Amino acid sequence: MTKPWRVNVFGVRHLSPAGAWHLRRYLDALKPRMVLIEGLADASGLIPQITRKGTKPPIALLAYTDSLPVRTLIYPLARYSPEFQAMSWADEHNAKAEFIDLPSDVFLALQDVEAELHAQRRRAAAEDPPAKGPEAPPPAETPPPPARPSVYEQYAERAGEADYETYWERHFEHNLSDDAYRLAAYEFGSSLRDLEEDQPRWQAENLVREAFMRRQIEKAIAAGTPPEKIVAVVGAFHAPVLTGEHPAMTDDELASLQRRSSKFTLMPYSYFKLSTQSGYGAGNRAPAYFDLLWDALRESDLAGLPSRYLSLVARHLREAGTHRSTAEAIEGVRLANTLSALKGGLAPTLTDLRDAAITLLGHGELSTVKDAIAHVEVGTAIGELPVGVSRTSIQADFERELSRLRLEKHKTTVQQELTLDLRENRQAKSVDAAFLDLGRSSFLHRLRVLGIGFAKPMRTSQQAATWAERWTLQWSPESEIHLVEAVLLGETVELAAGFKFKSTLEACASIADAAEVVRDACLCGMMASMDAARRRLQELSAETSEMTAIAHAAHVLGLIVRYGDVRKFDPEPLMPLVEELFVEAALAMHAAAGCDNEQAQKTIVAMNEMNGLALEHADRVDEALWIERLRRLSDADDRNPLLSGYACAILLERGLMANEDLAREVSRRLSPGVPADLGAGWFEGLSKRNRYALLARQVLWALLADYIGSLDEDHFRRSVVFLRRAFGGFNPREKRQIAENLAEHWGVSADTAAEAIESELTDAEQKKLSDLNEINFDDL
Amino acid sequence: MAKRSTTGGDEQTASSNGAAAAVLRAPAEVLFAREIEAIIAADKFEKPPGWRMSPRAVLTYITGGSVGDTRITPKYIGHQRLVEIAISTLVTDRALLLIGEPGTAKSWLSEHLAAAINGDSGKVVQGTAGTTEENVRYTWNYAMLIARGPSPEALIPSPILRAMESGSLARFEEITRCASEVQDAMISILSEKTISIPELKSEVPAKRGFSVIATANTRDKGVNDMSAALKRRFNIIVLPTPKTIESEIEIVSKRVRDLATNLDLKAKVPTADAIEKVVTIFRELRTGQTLDGKAKLKTPSGVLSTAEAISVLANSMALAGNFGSGDVSPLDLASAIQGSVVKDEEKDRVVWQEYLSNVLKKRGAEWRPLYAACSEQND
Repeated sequence: MTKPWRVNVFGVRHLSPAGAWHLRRYLDALKPRMVLIEGLADASGLIPQITRKGTKPPIALLAYTDSLPVRTLIYPLARYSPEFQAMSWADEHNAKAEFIDLPSDVFLALQDVEAELHAQRRRAAAEDPPAKGPEAPPPAETPPPPARPSVYEQYAERAGEADYETYWERHFEHNLSDDAYRLAAYEFGSSLRDLEEDQPRWQAENLVREAFMRRQIEKAIAAGTPPEKIVAVVGAFHAPVLTGEHPAMTDDELASLQRRSSKFTLMPYSYFKLSTQSGYGAGNRAPAYFDLLWDALRESDLAGLPSRYLSLVARHLREAGTHRSTAEAIEGVRLANTLSALKGGLAPTLTDLRDAAITLLGHGELSTVKDAIAHVEVGTAIGELPVGVSRTSIQADFERELSRLRLEKHKTTVQQELTLDLRENRQAKSVDAAFLDLGRSSFLHRLRVLGIGFAKPMRTSQQAATWAERWTLQWSPESEIHLVEAVLLGETVELAAGFKFKSTLEACASIADAAEVVRDACLCGMMASMDAARRRLQELSAETSEMTAIAHAAHVLGLIVRYGDVRKFDPEPLMPLVEELFVEAALAMHAAAGCDNEQAQKTIVAMNEMNGLALEHADRVDEALWIERLRRLSDADDRNPLLSGYACAILLERGLMANEDLAREVSRRLSPGVPADLGAGWFEGLSKRNRYALLARQVLWALLADYIGSLDEDHFRRSVVFLRRAFGGFNPREKRQIAENLAEHWGVSADTAAEAIESELTDAEQKKLSDLNEINFDDL
Repeated sequence: MAKRSTTGGDEQTASSNGAAAAVLRAPAEVLFAREIEAIIAADKFEKPPGWRMSPRAVLTYITGGSVGDTRITPKYIGHQRLVEIAISTLVTDRALLLIGEPGTAKSWLSEHLAAAINGDSGKVVQGTAGTTEENVRYTWNYAMLIARGPSPEALIPSPILRAMESGSLARFEEITRCASEVQDAMISILSEKTISIPELKSEVPAKRGFSVIATANTRDKGVNDMSAALKRRFNIIVLPTPKTIESEIEIVSKRVRDLATNLDLKAKVPTADAIEKVVTIFRELRTGQTLDGKAKLKTPSGVLSTAEAISVLANSMALAGNFGSGDVSPLDLASAIQGSVVKDEEKDRVVWQEYLSNVLKKRGAEWRPLYAACSEQND
């Protein structure tokens, strides 16, 4: 090329509605024959798919490596993306559209390099621990600590804004003057380039990309489109250097770049997913709001946006049952406008609107309007693609996992069974082979969590065996659909499961749900998710003081700790939480014991679980506290007697109650005058455990016999109900032993007693018994 | 009065602003007269009707900065955005309601806003359970009323009525302490912006610039809830407790030192370490999570405000001075903390016990004496 060329460059911020709006006006005025867009050069073939009729944004262009480790690149496109509008414009006006950024194989290889550097740094940090001592904080993930604010934050601060997003919105998104956006973005890009950023790698990557973009532009010019009929749509940062004055990439340079074989596809995307991706262009935090902004711009009704935002928030509040008047929404609009004027802005930014909504509609409390705001700002929109367009990375990942785990032969529509032994196969030669079944189990559990109906767990007969699992496998078209949908959650099965756990956790309301997630994450072999679930569980435990729930969660965690061995993970991080829950449940027990008999049955289960934990992890949990609380409950007269008796039984079983103490307690509980339901109820609780210990204590039976003897007719009839229930669980042999105990007390020989019991009932005795059955339950 | 210095308004600068040493405490517009003059002189932006300075200038006055060569001391630190919202509210002639726990500088902010905007923070209704509707609207000089019948001369306007006549700000302190029917007198004043005086067959319309700044404490016991109708007429801002532990420690230590001198407590001021521990415990229990954010906690039923942390420390000083060695010991602290954390017996006791064994116990040797003392107290 002889003289330096100059094409029309439009610098944008990705996902910027005003950018899209100005860009369309710019294109309308200029009528270019070719639009060049910052995007993967080898994905240009997808542009017709993107602009096709059945495509409804948000969608994303996804590039991924077809081998391990999987690296992915995602380019989300919303309705208001300048890039999307550029493609649509080109389609409507028969102009050509092409992507000009580095091809995906080069980009993905760059990620490999990045990951390798990252790993090196981590290794270096791990081998060379800082000399501060054991308490030193773990090395940060990213090497340069954010000691000084980033360039972007500096910009915001200079303009008196709290954050960069607000700065951008105030200065770029509301200015409707002709060409204001392009010129301002150009200036902004140049000044960004001038500021020295201490990130050589990042800079180098940009220089390579820009050289390649220039190469692509030159190619387009060489192919016959005059430069003045070309518009390049790129990030504001790149805009200043896309001229012929800078060198374009040569063939040799291009050939020297590392590559990794890659594939790409389009996939449906969601606004929710968009809002959770940090660090990607404007509009990502509040996609639905930016959607509103885009509509407002197109209808030239920017001034109406605050009213729309606040009335939507008010409407969501009303739907959720919180009434807010229209007057409050109107005052909110006024407040937002004034807040914006205070900063010299043209229109309220999202921050202004949100603050106005909190002040007026939330009456000062964010929590009141939080859900409504999330609805209006993030929204629930999901994109659509025509059938057959998508071949997603998660499908590829699924196939790859199947072959790695040697499960391909199970991918048939015929139902098959699979039995897994999670223990190490000591004959196997490689690590992968040795833990093949464990890997399979994790994979199948991940599919289960994602709701992909390929594999269903079957109950194993050996419930207690932590190493055996049985599954039924069956492939169906529904599974395929679920798999494709799962790509919205993540690019691989593992990432998708991780995201699923994350969202389940956010929705988790009870400690039991969270405990289930901990268990699932453990079964899936996903330690990061398990850790997140553990934190959530801890949070939730602060909000509940229901003993049964806390004890159950502690019990589930205790079980998981037992899995640790088989599933090859370190259960240590779970232990502090088990300890905490144990303390919480122990403290909550006394209050929980003041309940009716129905609830008492559940509390007994919880007490069992607690006692099991105390025995199994005696070295870790606060056993002394548990015993102290048991004693307190055992001594208490104002709690459910069944539970007091049960606490006493546990103490007895653990050898923490001397014979004479038991005798005193029995006689106290069963003294005349104590209502029969209380006394007998207590005895029922006591007799629920360790029968042999009870049977061996003659003194107890003597006391019981005296007690029953002391009851008058009415009280006796009442106590029969409870005593029958108490003895209902004893087997015949035990019952005989009781009879012998009593016989000894009454001075009858054991043989006579046995005879008496085994002989047929006489009619008179039969009658007496059936009389006893006719109890007037109204008394109780 | 006890609330005055909780925001760290700098007293030395205040007195260098000149004037009025004779009264116990001069109003903000007198204490900071010099700053206000400097700001007004340099103010280039448009002023809303009835305002002495522009909204941006008010913001500078409250959050600090410099105008020309005058340094403006920050009056309210940490939450600039809330001040922006408060000022914008007053620009839109809406009434402003500041809600917060004790010690979050509600009255302080309201006084300074009025001082900056009108140069007069004195039109105040001080709400109590005994406040009547006359205190809100108007009352009469009864001698004159009986002698000459109703006349404008016999009318005694309330601060709110005076503010309406002059187009300026009125303040309503502790509005939730008033009976609900008295609170409701504000409804028609705020929506119609007039007070009718049937005895004189006249009506006083509010001049532009009139607005009301009310303060309220919703978490205390013994307050009357505001009706939804009244709430709708206010823009409500909830003032948070100090943002960082450092700022809270600063506020608490300053106040404890002041109190020690004022009340002539015979003990040494608690060490910085003790103050930090108390503030840490209060913050953790108040926010329901540990400072490092790693563990969530149950919160006790009490408010546990900054003001209460101050009184815990003062209390333990009184204990140490009168019954102890004069040095504040962990045991002195423990009994004072126990008293303010455990209010509703059984439930709070469990919360406190949980906190002690799940958090304090694991904090290491430094916390051991305080943990031991607290556990002993809680038994």
